[in-house]
Amino acid sequence: MNAIEIRDLTKNFGEKQAVCGLDMTVPMGAIYGFIGENGSGKSTTEKIVCGLIHASGGSVRLYGRPHTDSDVRARLGVLIEAPGCYPSLTVWDNMMLQAENLALPDAESAVVATLKAVRMEGAAGNKYKNCSLGMKQRVGIAMALLGDPLLLVLDEPQNGLDADGMRIMREVFLDIVKDGKRSIVISSHLLGELQKVATHYGIIRHGKMLVEMTAAELDASCRTFVALQSGDMRKTKALLCEKYARVEEDEAGYLRVYDAVTPEQIVKYLYEKGVCVTEIKTDKIGLEEYYIDLMKGGK
Amino acid sequence: MTREIKFESPSFQRRIKGMLGVDFYRLFHTPLFYIFLAIAAIIPAMVSAMTVMPGPDGSPGTPLYSNVWQIIAASESLYVICGIADYANMNMVFIFGGIMVSIFIGHDYKSGYVKQLFTTHAKKQDYMISKTLACAFAMACMCISYFIGGTVGGLLVGYETEVNAGSLILAILGKIVMSLGWASFYTFLNVIFRRYFGVSIASSFFFGTGILIIGAAAIVESLGAPAWFLNVFLYGASVNASLASHIGSFFVCLAVSLGWTVIYNLLGTEILSKSDVY
Repeated sequence: MNAIEIRDLTKNFGEKQAVCGLDMTVPMGAIYGFIGENGSGKSTTEKIVCGLIHASGGSVRLYGRPHTDSDVRARLGVLIEAPGCYPSLTVWDNMMLQAENLALPDAESAVVATLKAVRMEGAAGNKYKNCSLGMKQRVGIAMALLGDPLLLVLDEPQNGLDADGMRIMREVFLDIVKDGKRSIVISSHLLGELQKVATHYGIIRHGKMLVEMTAAELDASCRTFVALQSGDMRKTKALLCEKYARVEEDEAGYLRVYDAVTPEQIVKYLYEKGVCVTEIKTDKIGLEEYYIDLMKGGK
Repeated sequence: MTREIKFESPSFQRRIKGMLGVDFYRLFHTPLFYIFLAIAAIIPAMVSAMTVMPGPDGSPGTPLYSNVWQIIAASESLYVICGIADYANMNMVFIFGGIMVSIFIGHDYKSGYVKQLFTTHAKKQDYMISKTLACAFAMACMCISYFIGGTVGGLLVGYETEVNAGSLILAILGKIVMSLGWASFYTFLNVIFRRYFGVSIASSFFFGTGILIIGAAAIVESLGAPAWFLNVFLYGASVNASLASHIGSFFVCLAVSLGWTVIYNLLGTEILSKSDVY
């Protein structure tokens, strides 16, 4: 049984087709990185899953049940776009409202525990409108975590979080899925951060799923490259371009050679041409580069 | 490790408890409710004071009312008002009550909190019921607040207090009962105009003034139909709860209020179910 199973999903806003024939499978226990450009249909898909908007066609099943069933919805935690909080109420009051909404039997204890999990227990008395962007985001995540949800749908949860906040959220997410039943869908543009936790990926473009893969499959698909620096980078680049098909200079000032070559081969070749290599290493492209490559159509 | 998951279908009782919990928590933890309670008390007191204020030339003012309780309810069911005194009574609660409901519900959408409400187990029907009940409670409290403000203001001005106590109580109870119907109507309006905060406030004010009933009264009169026919409308039944009320008037209020509540709740649920909520 999958946590989310979407088949042939479509959503039209008037003439505009926001989602067209999307298939998506989120296994149980997965942290699913949902990636796509702005306006690619991520939020629309998430809103359909959460029941905020209606699909124009297709089916959405959560844990094998129609996504509109109230029993499965009762186990859903959501953070879409921005946290839905009343600005003039305190963090505590907003959390208590959500606890009331979920009709939790011991609301106060649940709120205390959840605020503690996102390290917001010290700011419970702050008015929501006076919280920083990162604090607001933590409150939004805490609200999604209330009531022991089976499925979390989080839209840009790392927005505005500082380094420590991101680390805390990573720990929280990994802790949630460790029982193998709970699943998390995270849509994010912070791909480096997403890669640290995601077990599955789905890349969407123009409302269609381009590719779905596991983290292991992504790892296998990511091309290796040799990165090097030398005393004369211009000459080195010219020489490498003569011999290898794809040579690029990266942001850190390294020359990357993408063809299946070993560092030894390159050092030998350059040495014979009179160039001394000062630094050389092998590496793999990350999710971010894989995604950019995919978007360019040059996987 | 077992991967079997059991789902428990939340009962209507649990769902509505959750929704009502949210609405009443918010009602009591934000200043909105208390501000409108104060408005409901101050306005009748001010109206009483203003009606006996001397004119610019120092001439003594002409009191609009002869009796304290006319500030609470009109002497008789006047569907078409002849003067401000016929209008300025507890029915005004349904005007500023509408504004309160618009602000209360509008903030659900403005703040985005409605996402939390609709992504959990709650159904659209629960939302309509809960908002109606919470807002009806708030408007009923405003009626009581208005009663206190009007009575104190009228007594301070020195109006007479003679009244048929039974009719007065039935008129007040009738208006309190009408809060439910009005609350359901305003909830329905806010569901329609949920994306347009200003429009929902303006429409609540417009309909709350009972302007339409004046037009309806003219039509009824020209058709030669009996005036009591106007009691099927919310404003008509509210006007019918007057100082001439009897037990029948109260039951009319009850039936009209409940009837419209059911209709508006069904319509509102249908609209929410068919449309994208956020």
